Amino acid sequence: MSRYPSISSSVWQGLCLLITYVALAFPFSAQAETKTEYKSWEEVMSAAKGGTVNWFMWGGADNINQYVSDYIGGELTERYGITLKRIGINDTAEAVNIVLGEKQAGIDDKGSVDLIWINGGNFRTMKQGGLLFCGYHSLLPNNKLVNWQNPSIANDFGLAVDECEVPWNRAQFAFAYDSARTENPPKSIAELIDWVKDNPGEFTYPAATDFNGSVFIRHVFYHAAGGPDALLGDFDSKKFDAIAPKAWAILNEMKPYLWREGETYPNAIANLAQLFANREVALYFDYDPAIFGINVENGIFPETTRSYGLKDGTIGNTNYVAIPYNSPNKAAAMVAANVILSADAQREKAKADVWGAAPAIDINRLPEEEKQRFTDLPRHPAVVDPATLSKKALPELHPDWISAIEKGWQENVAK
Amino acid sequence: MTMVEIRIRAEISRDGLSGPTWFALVLLISWLILPLIPLAVWSISRSWFFPDITPSAYSLRAWRYVFSSTSEVLPALGVTTLIALCATLLSAIIGLPAGRALGLYQFRGKSAVELLILAPTIVPGIAVALGLHVVFLNLGLAGSFLGVLIVHLIPTLPYMVLVMAGVFANYNPEIEAQARSLGADPFQTFYYVTLPAILPGLLIGSLFTFLVSWSQYILTLLIGGGRVVTLPLLLFNFASAGRNDITGAISMIYILPGVVLLLLGARHLTGRNTAAESLRQI
Repeated sequence: MSRYPSISSSVWQGLCLLITYVALAFPFSAQAETKTEYKSWEEVMSAAKGGTVNWFMWGGADNINQYVSDYIGGELTERYGITLKRIGINDTAEAVNIVLGEKQAGIDDKGSVDLIWINGGNFRTMKQGGLLFCGYHSLLPNNKLVNWQNPSIANDFGLAVDECEVPWNRAQFAFAYDSARTENPPKSIAELIDWVKDNPGEFTYPAATDFNGSVFIRHVFYHAAGGPDALLGDFDSKKFDAIAPKAWAILNEMKPYLWREGETYPNAIANLAQLFANREVALYFDYDPAIFGINVENGIFPETTRSYGLKDGTIGNTNYVAIPYNSPNKAAAMVAANVILSADAQREKAKADVWGAAPAIDINRLPEEEKQRFTDLPRHPAVVDPATLSKKALPELHPDWISAIEKGWQENVAK
Repeated sequence: MTMVEIRIRAEISRDGLSGPTWFALVLLISWLILPLIPLAVWSISRSWFFPDITPSAYSLRAWRYVFSSTSEVLPALGVTTLIALCATLLSAIIGLPAGRALGLYQFRGKSAVELLILAPTIVPGIAVALGLHVVFLNLGLAGSFLGVLIVHLIPTLPYMVLVMAGVFANYNPEIEAQARSLGADPFQTFYYVTLPAILPGLLIGSLFTFLVSWSQYILTLLIGGGRVVTLPLLLFNFASAGRNDITGAISMIYILPGVVLLLLGARHLTGRNTAAESLRQI
């Protein structure tokens, strides 16, 4: 689901870069992340009562907005006396910049952001900038439902979570196609290369500036490298220089057969969705397969939409919620984080007509009866079975690798 | 009805009937209305695929969402209107005397002042706002209604000041002296003499100011920090997510004040009616 928190346009990237420069012009105090002062969950709950949580999150999907405002907001008000204010933003970097700006201005205890839906590069910015409240996992009763042994949960895009954020959703890249139009969609990057040549104009991918475009390019990179193993860990320019030319060659080979002969690429995943909806291209992909079902329900995609993962596997990640170091409502934010981790909230979210997002908790840790209720949930026919998909999950790369690949694509493929 | 008024009325109707004017009117109306039609249709469509002329399925889902408490569209409409009205009022209070000084008097450094007033329309607001953000944070204005209102004055003031400077450049202050010599106090002079003379200009300036404030996105986002939620912010949330149905529905609400103001203001924009009214008053 990281597509949502990380969705961005070139305008925003420029703007955020500008803000970051302004921010860096000021001296930065290298201060460690705040540790919690609460001793027990009871203490947290009593401190949280009557509090307000300002939750900054991507606001472009009415179903997610409704789930958060109505379901999570309702639970918090009824059971804990906490008011939830959902603040819709276009890009998670907006919320990160608010906290960054507040830190510069010396507002260390009454910041305006209490909770952020976050992962990847934004998490790295906040963790490394000392902008997060950390070390509270042992306080949350529902933390026991999370499998922290799973490296793809304990690491957010290669960076250790270190009790600085709480997992919310799991997402894994998948392809979608219209079964009434396309009979045999390509099931691997190698097949895709041939398929694109056989079906000129029927495929394209968003530019690397788009989160989903970037992850597609990473799949091509994994293919060129013969798997992700060589690319894991810190950025290594020697490895990069050895693999990159192969990946660019594949993409450049595809280019003349892409939509509009590859002269231009959609600049956002929403544009690719529009192209697929208009039947201009035959394939769509997304980091979050739930979106296929949502788009069918919203009438954007045809009813005959189906989805699948690749034979060699697809990249998966976890997205989280984090509490800024200067949140004045940390206790209430922790209660909110605990509520979203609860089995009830995770199951509600997994319902196809609510959101369809894969749970971040390990359902094997639930009592048998509770677990059954998860497995019994009907799945939208357009959404690939998450269990099948996750059998072949590939890890995400370190953000430095990702930036190098995105930059290389601009220079070698897009130009 | 005086002879003058009859002649003016006749002029208006003659102008209104002439061919080129009709053509221009139709062109203007279609230019204003045509782009809105797809938005209106999107707002009630469930699925609309290229190259179909009409949607294949209709739904009121987008409107239900827009009017639900989750979407916060109606509170945002209130906030946007209030900010735009306050910004207009403040701009008028500041812009009227400033425009008078620039339009009527010659003084040292006048061109420098004019340049400074024009600056916000030349310098991108975002550059100013980034610097202001830190200042506003320190003042405790960031994320507040007042902060957003103040920052909206940056792009709105130049319009008001420049329009008023233009109005006062063609204004003869001696009629104020005449009114004062006939015993009018300063308030009466302003209300009965100055205001009617500058009203068309003031209305145009206010219209600009209102719409400029109404359409602010970046400044509201930066200074409001997501806590002052105006309609453009909600609109952009859904537009960038590719949700044409909800974008269409919010757009329909978003254009309302512009259309209402234009209809109300159009009567005054030419200044003719006001001229006729002021003639009648004299």
